[in-house]
Amino acid sequence: MSILSEIERDALTEIFNVGAGRAAQSLSEIVGDEVRLTVPSVEVLRTDAINEQLLPRIQGRFATVSQNFYGPFDAEAVLLFTEDRALSIVRDMMGSQMSLDQLAEFEREAMCELGNIILNACLSAMADMLEITLNSSLPQYVVSSPEEISSRLSEVQSDERYVLVLHIDLVIEKHQTDGHLIFLLSSTSLHALVEHVQAYLRKIELT
Amino acid sequence: MSSFVAGRFRLEDVYDQLNCGLVMLDRDLNILLWNAWMARHSRVPASAAINADFAALFAGQVTPALLRALDNTLSYGLPSLLSSALHRSPLPLYPHHPGGQGEGAQRMAQSVVLTPIDNPDGQRLCLMQVTDASNSVKREKMLLSHSEVLKRQVGTDGLTGIPNRRYFDENYARALQRVQEEGGTLSLFMIDVDYFKQYNDLYGHGGGDRVLKRVAETLRAHLQRPDDVLARYGGEEFILLVSNLQPLQAAELGEALRQAVYQLAEPHDKSLVERRLTISVGVCTRELEDDIDGRQLLEAADAALYRAKLGGRNKVVSTS
Repeated sequence: MSILSEIERDALTEIFNVGAGRAAQSLSEIVGDEVRLTVPSVEVLRTDAINEQLLPRIQGRFATVSQNFYGPFDAEAVLLFTEDRALSIVRDMMGSQMSLDQLAEFEREAMCELGNIILNACLSAMADMLEITLNSSLPQYVVSSPEEISSRLSEVQSDERYVLVLHIDLVIEKHQTDGHLIFLLSSTSLHALVEHVQAYLRKIELT
Repeated sequence: MSSFVAGRFRLEDVYDQLNCGLVMLDRDLNILLWNAWMARHSRVPASAAINADFAALFAGQVTPALLRALDNTLSYGLPSLLSSALHRSPLPLYPHHPGGQGEGAQRMAQSVVLTPIDNPDGQRLCLMQVTDASNSVKREKMLLSHSEVLKRQVGTDGLTGIPNRRYFDENYARALQRVQEEGGTLSLFMIDVDYFKQYNDLYGHGGGDRVLKRVAETLRAHLQRPDDVLARYGGEEFILLVSNLQPLQAAELGEALRQAVYQLAEPHDKSLVERRLTISVGVCTRELEDDIDGRQLLEAADAALYRAKLGGRNKVVSTS
């Protein structure tokens, strides 16, 4: 059973691609070269399904940047890259050639900024298109193992938990990387989001 | 006044004691707060800053990225962050020197955090916090350059300055993998200075060291491609890895190396070859499409070297 209808999923993909386009523009200005960012697909999963579908494909640790946001619906937005991809993205952006196998302190800050740009762009696109206002915390950078992410996802709440998963394609300095942006939502928040998407669909169909 | 301030002091004094810049801006970028840290590092006193237009005050010296981030925070109410790594210095702020020096100094490395604050009238304002990142930038640069130096040192032979065995072993594994993926050949040269023990006995360790350096320089001068790897493998033993040579070309290169050392005409009165310093060279060239491992190639080159020595030294033996 699919949680989103096809048209709702298309609408969300469109919204997030508008955000991705804005983020790419900001990133291009920083890097001084073309940056392409696209969201090829969006899906909604139950938190227990994400472990099987997303995590086993990845080895090593994740570099995550997360922001909590709240408004008509609340969610934790987490940008996930494998740690070595995060390393190469940040070093491509900074044009540096360092040999440390972890991000140094100032590279972490740069990664936080990258996450902040992508997350804010997605949130602002949602705010514009769904005509809502969202508040958000500052971004946080955390390195986690796949197990730590799983246990974070499976922290059982009284409410059912859902995950909105965005696949992300990022091209910086001709290097292509992919990652995920996930939104952790309660079922109440998911329903609120779906209602706003439906309202958006009604609006664009009528005009 | 909020519930966690008891009110027996002035908040302005707190702002002015903070070791970071604090600026409050309204939607039109008018400055509503400018603490002492900002005044010190921007060289703009609060009297000139308050109620001034932030963008106009610095006339084009604020980076577009910061202006866009401000706009974003003010329009959407989302907090933003500008890292020192990607922006270095979004605002024209300078290190503060109490002696009055430092005019025209370099802009301070900064990290900037922008957070939206709604005022009691429901207007959205933006709080900007600026921290001095120059110390952490300096510290990280220092650590990185140390780690680069150490990394280089770990792979370098202290006497001759060419790579050491450890460096070779790491590169050898990579070269084997490359040849297995891309095809081609790998030639492994084992090079030994003839009667080196006798040389040391006669000329002393200082003389031995000097002559090893000369041999290393001579061999290095024959490297032709950037991915050729020459290393000091042991006491008087050198190893050279060259890809994509035919066995005949490998034999010719070995011969060129032997001759080059011979032509140094370093006296060696205890050599049983001739009264000058010479080397023996064993080389093995293989295509690695079949699953030959690195150890086998090393053993084959070593066996060739052994035959060169048995054959009277000052010789090249090439196998494939």
